[in-house]
Amino acid sequence: MADAPTIFVVDDDASVRDAISNLLESVGLRAVALASTEQFWRAPRPNVPSCLVLDVRIPGVNGLEFQEQLARAKVSIPIIFITAHGDVPMTSRAMKAGAIEFLMKPFQKEDLLAAIRHGLERDRTRRQDEAEVSILRSRAEQLTLREREVMDLVVTGLINKQIGAQLGLSEVTVKAHRSHAMQKMEATSLADLIRMSDKLKPRDSR
Amino acid sequence: MQTGARPEGTTRSLLRRCGIASLFVVAAFVPTLLLQHLFPYPFLFLFFGAVMASAWFGGTAAGLLAVLLSTILVDYFFVPPFYSFSVSTTAEAYFAAFVACALVASWVSSAKKKSEEALKGTLDQLEVRVSERTAELMKTQTELAHLSQVLSMGELTASIAHEINQPLTAVVTHGHACIEWLSASPPNLEKAQQTVQRIIQDGTRAGAVLSRIRALFKKEAPAKDWLDINEVIHELTTFLRDEAVRRHIAIRTDLVPGLPKVKADRVQLQQVVLNLMMNGMDAMIETTDRVKELLIGTRGDESEIVVRVEDSGIGLDTEAVDKIFNPFFTTKPHGIGMGLSISRSIIESHEGRLWASPRPSGGAIFQFTLPVRSRDSDG
Repeated sequence: MADAPTIFVVDDDASVRDAISNLLESVGLRAVALASTEQFWRAPRPNVPSCLVLDVRIPGVNGLEFQEQLARAKVSIPIIFITAHGDVPMTSRAMKAGAIEFLMKPFQKEDLLAAIRHGLERDRTRRQDEAEVSILRSRAEQLTLREREVMDLVVTGLINKQIGAQLGLSEVTVKAHRSHAMQKMEATSLADLIRMSDKLKPRDSR
Repeated sequence: MQTGARPEGTTRSLLRRCGIASLFVVAAFVPTLLLQHLFPYPFLFLFFGAVMASAWFGGTAAGLLAVLLSTILVDYFFVPPFYSFSVSTTAEAYFAAFVACALVASWVSSAKKKSEEALKGTLDQLEVRVSERTAELMKTQTELAHLSQVLSMGELTASIAHEINQPLTAVVTHGHACIEWLSASPPNLEKAQQTVQRIIQDGTRAGAVLSRIRALFKKEAPAKDWLDINEVIHELTTFLRDEAVRRHIAIRTDLVPGLPKVKADRVQLQQVVLNLMMNGMDAMIETTDRVKELLIGTRGDESEIVVRVEDSGIGLDTEAVDKIFNPFFTTKPHGIGMGLSISRSIIESHEGRLWASPRPSGGAIFQFTLPVRSRDSDG
């Protein structure tokens, strides 16, 4: 149960959030019902795939503002908005900011569960991605400066001879650095190395 | 028809003017004739009066006719040689002065009359314009009143829709959950039963919303009874206890026993107190740095009773204090800003006052009064 995906339900209306929790529980999902965004900040967020079912109109900040706050705090949790009065601009703003879905109350079970599944999947992928990147990063840290230089040039498509010319090394030396780099990065092929190097680039420039 | 009628009318009015002039001149002539022996000089002043009166009532033409008639009569009867139309050389200057004075009198009188009539015309026009404007304004006001009624109906409809939609959403969602609990193998009957229980609760809540709204729209005159305000508050605090516990709010009461009963509509009064209590509880949602406490107190004397609702919530800034009673003003994400505005009109319809003030130790205080009347003076 500790590793089970967690769905946070934030709605100030007790009966609605209880009902959503009950529905999620009935299909075997773990739900954490919260009355306000304040409670969300305070709630423990286990390191498991999660998503957030959020009422647009909640006391304090509104749902869209909360979405921005989360983004600023680098809390990347997929959001499914629920609302009683969804208007088009609100919907499009939420979707543009990366919301999974915008559901009108009362919603159908299938729509909510599909959105939640989608949200959890997205979060799972992101978590795997991040885990992989952190592994790659620790591997890359083991590279010597030369090996790193060689790798960075290899992935741009240059052949050993050209790399040697650029770095002022013999082709043989380049070849040795290259094979060390491949070993340390645990890359099985050039294509693999290129993919890894791509993942190591800072997120924003991807 | 019109072109034929006009000259006829003019002729008639001309005749009337001649008649007026003749009448005044004769009226001046007779006493002058009778009095002439009492004075050493011909006594002609009454003719000026006749000329002025003719000019006043008959206009310039009648004035000039009066001057002409007076001149003839004066020349014949009062200027030597008497009983002749000739004028003696000694009387020439005197006679000329009389004619000149008469002409001036006629002119002054008719000019004065004209300016007075012009003024009166302007006044009339002004009055007509004022009444037209007033009618226009009243029409606009009626339209505005209607518009605001329609608007507030729209707002109310939105609020009703929302208030019903919430429990409805819960019912539908619980319904889905219930099917899931039942179709599990083995079926989870305990959970299914709990879920149905909640469906009943939420359905009941939707019904309560509707009956509250129905009470609000009841057109009939409020049914006023003699109420014990403490009892009304006691009922509501019992009703809200669960909600308060859920929100970690302590409800405290400070009710002075033995207050005089007030004549009021029970449902309306409940609405006001409930609204103030719910507002107070909503205001404490974000409160974390102090105890969440809702205090309802009563006090009173022989003229009025005062009910106060205090919360330790976000409080009121000066800007909000001015606006909170305006329709559509709200600080709540779900609010439509009608609660306090309706509450105030209910209290005012009971001849009381409802006002808000910041609580010195943080939070807000809402208070209202209800007049105490003896049972004899108001059956």
